Amino acid sequence: MLSYIKRKLSESDSGSNNSNSNSNSTAAADLVRKTSQMSLDNGAIAYGEDALLHELGYRNATDLQETIYDLLRTIRDPEKPCTLEDLNVIYEDGIFVMQPTRSNVSVVRIEFNPTVPHCSLATLIGLCIRVKVERGLPHNIKLDIYIKKGAHQTEEEINKQINDKERIAAAMENPNLRELVENCIKEEE
Amino acid sequence: MSRFSGALQLTDLDDFITPSQECIKPVTIDKTKSKTGSKITVQADGYYEETESGKQKLQKVEITLQDCLACSGCITSAEGVLITQQSQEELLKVLRENERLKASGDSDQVRTVVFTIAMQPVLSLAHRYGLSVEEAARHLTGYLRQLGADYVVSTKIADDLALLDCRQMFIDRYRNNAELTMLSSSCPGWVCYAEKTHGNFILPYIAPSRSPQQIMGVLVKNRLAEYLSLPSSRFYHVTVMPCYDKKLEASREDFYSEVNSSRDVDCVITSIEVEQMLQTEEKTLQQFEPSNMDWPWGDDSPESMIWAHESTMSGGYAEHIYKYAAKKLFNEETPDDLQFKALRNRDFSEISLEKDGKVVLKFAIANGFRNIQNLVQKLKRGKGPGYHFVEVMACPSGCINGGAQVRPTAGQHVRELTQQLEQLYKQLPRSNPEEDETKYIYEDFVYNAQSLLHTEYHAVEKLNTALNIKW
Amino acid sequence: MGRLILEHTLQGHKGRIWGVAWHPKGNSFASCGEDKAIRIWSLSGNTWTTKTILSDGHKRTIREVRWSPCGEYLASASFDATTAIWSKHECTATLEGHENEVKSVSWSRSGGLLATCSRDKSVWIWEVAGDDEFECAAVLNAHSQDVKRVVWHPTKEILASASYDNTIKMFAESALDSDWDCTATLSSHTSTVWSIDFDAEGERLVSCSDDATLKIWRAYHPGNEAGIATPDKTTVWKCVCTLSGQHSRAIYDVSWCKLTGLIASACGDDGIRIFKECNDSKRDEPSFELLTGEESAHEQDVNAVEWNPVNAGQLISCSDDGTIKLWKLQE
Repeated sequence: MLSYIKRKLSESDSGSNNSNSNSNSTAAADLVRKTSQMSLDNGAIAYGEDALLHELGYRNATDLQETIYDLLRTIRDPEKPCTLEDLNVIYEDGIFVMQPTRSNVSVVRIEFNPTVPHCSLATLIGLCIRVKVERGLPHNIKLDIYIKKGAHQTEEEINKQINDKERIAAAMENPNLRELVENCIKEEE
Repeated sequence: MSRFSGALQLTDLDDFITPSQECIKPVTIDKTKSKTGSKITVQADGYYEETESGKQKLQKVEITLQDCLACSGCITSAEGVLITQQSQEELLKVLRENERLKASGDSDQVRTVVFTIAMQPVLSLAHRYGLSVEEAARHLTGYLRQLGADYVVSTKIADDLALLDCRQMFIDRYRNNAELTMLSSSCPGWVCYAEKTHGNFILPYIAPSRSPQQIMGVLVKNRLAEYLSLPSSRFYHVTVMPCYDKKLEASREDFYSEVNSSRDVDCVITSIEVEQMLQTEEKTLQQFEPSNMDWPWGDDSPESMIWAHESTMSGGYAEHIYKYAAKKLFNEETPDDLQFKALRNRDFSEISLEKDGKVVLKFAIANGFRNIQNLVQKLKRGKGPGYHFVEVMACPSGCINGGAQVRPTAGQHVRELTQQLEQLYKQLPRSNPEEDETKYIYEDFVYNAQSLLHTEYHAVEKLNTALNIKW
Repeated sequence: MGRLILEHTLQGHKGRIWGVAWHPKGNSFASCGEDKAIRIWSLSGNTWTTKTILSDGHKRTIREVRWSPCGEYLASASFDATTAIWSKHECTATLEGHENEVKSVSWSRSGGLLATCSRDKSVWIWEVAGDDEFECAAVLNAHSQDVKRVVWHPTKEILASASYDNTIKMFAESALDSDWDCTATLSSHTSTVWSIDFDAEGERLVSCSDDATLKIWRAYHPGNEAGIATPDKTTVWKCVCTLSGQHSRAIYDVSWCKLTGLIASACGDDGIRIFKECNDSKRDEPSFELLTGEESAHEQDVNAVEWNPVNAGQLISCSDDGTIKLWKLQE
């Protein structure tokens, strides 16, 4: 049941391709909250999931979602003197706590919205998001990072690249790229 | 499929972004008044800058082939650019415009159209249309005249000059330092790869001689222009070549004269494009009235216009220079057909001359990208076999198998086709660069401005802006 | 039902471990990872210990290591764009030429050829030209994207490559001109093909992908009994089985045991799974069942698995969690 709702959820979220309507994804985020609340007073499947979150020190899925958002909001845009939050590239509704793996590791899907549909820095932003979250959380997590549906001309190619762990690992060994990413994700004093 | 040579395809590191998005070319915008805090907004049809007086469309960035060549990034985006700047469409457009000017009597604007034909495309087209080489050359000439050519010439004169110049350069270098390796420079795929990938390490080895295509450029835009008393900008010079990389070569800054605002070669079309143009017209080559090529270089035109240069099919550099050096430096006579010894694969072969038990001349021919690799690695490790001269071509089997030669028919292997072209080549008369006419022109050049036969190479610096890095 | 018994958990590398490779004798193995070092492990008494650490060969992550069939040489592929050849703990040759990260390296059965592949989309074949000498025999630009893995056929000089372009390609030397050509393109996966492995005879291939499936492919030679058309008289590879549903994330590696015929997979969901061909499996429509699985084999993504080539049922794995594990399959 839960997985069914989650699936519907990701479908509805992937269905929204209108850049200025956050209504769909807001609704989706509500659903996430609902499902996590539901899971509190619901049967066996959901129990495991929240137990995992409790074990990791979160009150519920929203707590994890907010923790991740707090990590992401301060990432600076590679070109402009603004944060990703200022530019609405990332938003709380774009963070989805998914069903954990069978090995009981949290799975989180992060969606972001590039400022322009041919933004050449989208892959770099994806890289910053991944590195920031993986470093910022004290526990293992499986991250899936996607461009908001319809928000980029080469969305599929970018999604593929920013979820390829080997490409990411190699990119972070390129000194120039690494420096750029470190600067973008550095916490302001 | 890309028609560039493999060497160039490899340097394409672009994984997913289309050229328009990944090229980061700074544009200078003329600011009429000082502005602060203007906003740039992006709309589907371009960039706008918001000013006090409203929105103003920003200039669209044009990326030229020169920009591509100067960039350390991908090279295949250059292919898209080529389509607009060096294509059959562009050629036909210019020719149509020229016809229109002629008809309107605007003789000050009319350009003199010169076509230069290299030997390899003639072989390719002869094979494609089942003609003898001589017939193919004459029908092709007829076709080009019908398109609007004022002159149709062959590269023979430039092929000869290139050999004369290279061999002299070799002798000078060898006398100066017998340990030095000299690498040939006529293949633009190889030169471009060397500049982009191995830069300052490899470039000093490469002979600064212009390729025959670019020597033809000088001959047409200087010599022929002088002869006809026309400014070089009034010529439209088109070459017919066996490979796409030649388009890159023609576009190099080094071959553009600011003073005359003229490019040595204005447009390069290839064998395969000639085939396409004929297909579009639904014609075969033999349907065009045959015509003789021109020889505007002196009174005695040669008995044939299509020549072989030694027995190898890429200009004969290694063979010719070897023979000349053996005679000149060691007074050794060599047979007409040198026996190069194939090494690991047939595209890497060598020959050496011993004198008193010591190897005094060691030459090699390296064709294809894998052998370029082996050669570069040998040079890098410094424990190489000590070649004095290496003829380097980016395509396996050399120029006869150029990337833009007419493709094999279905089911035919490239190698079979190449062998058939080799047979045609073997029947061609052998050119002798020593003949009076060529020698005369060469000496004239040497006397006046040998630099016209030479060029320079530029290591491409790796871009360090992280925003540009593809990962 | 079988069961995977964890025999040893080994630590030593700093950070993520990308690759492990059994020595052909099966009594030692090599490992590599983001710490830019290669460790060679062997059993002393009842514990596996690092006998040698090979460092200073690479400037960036070492992605994969492979032993030559004779066991004398080790080849390592690195993100620093080079491939290093090691003999008796010394780096004896460095193969340069790739434009960027080398992802995989493989020795041919005879040990006379070496293949490498890279994000630069090319596959290179190197001929062993004598002591410490490697000559480039071919540069193959058949893939349209990053090439993730190269694996030689177990008996013939046929090379298979797996790519980010979702395909697998086969390469063989043309008898006509001794040039290497792409002879087959295997398309069916819907995302990156991370790894491939042949069965013992080389008549079948298993592939694993980011699309969370395993696929089994079979070779159909000219004149095959099944009547599969072979245009141009070249062998055709067909996908004859897809295993989906068992893996929940990208599958990073797969190993087809040459002794037992069992298939092991390494998955991004931290699991290792073992598949066995069903008893009633058909030649042209084979079926496989999950024999056993370890959902939490590692704490993070499992990057590689390999069956011991001598000691049947022994499996090695490595992970982002920085550990190497040795497993024994109990049937």
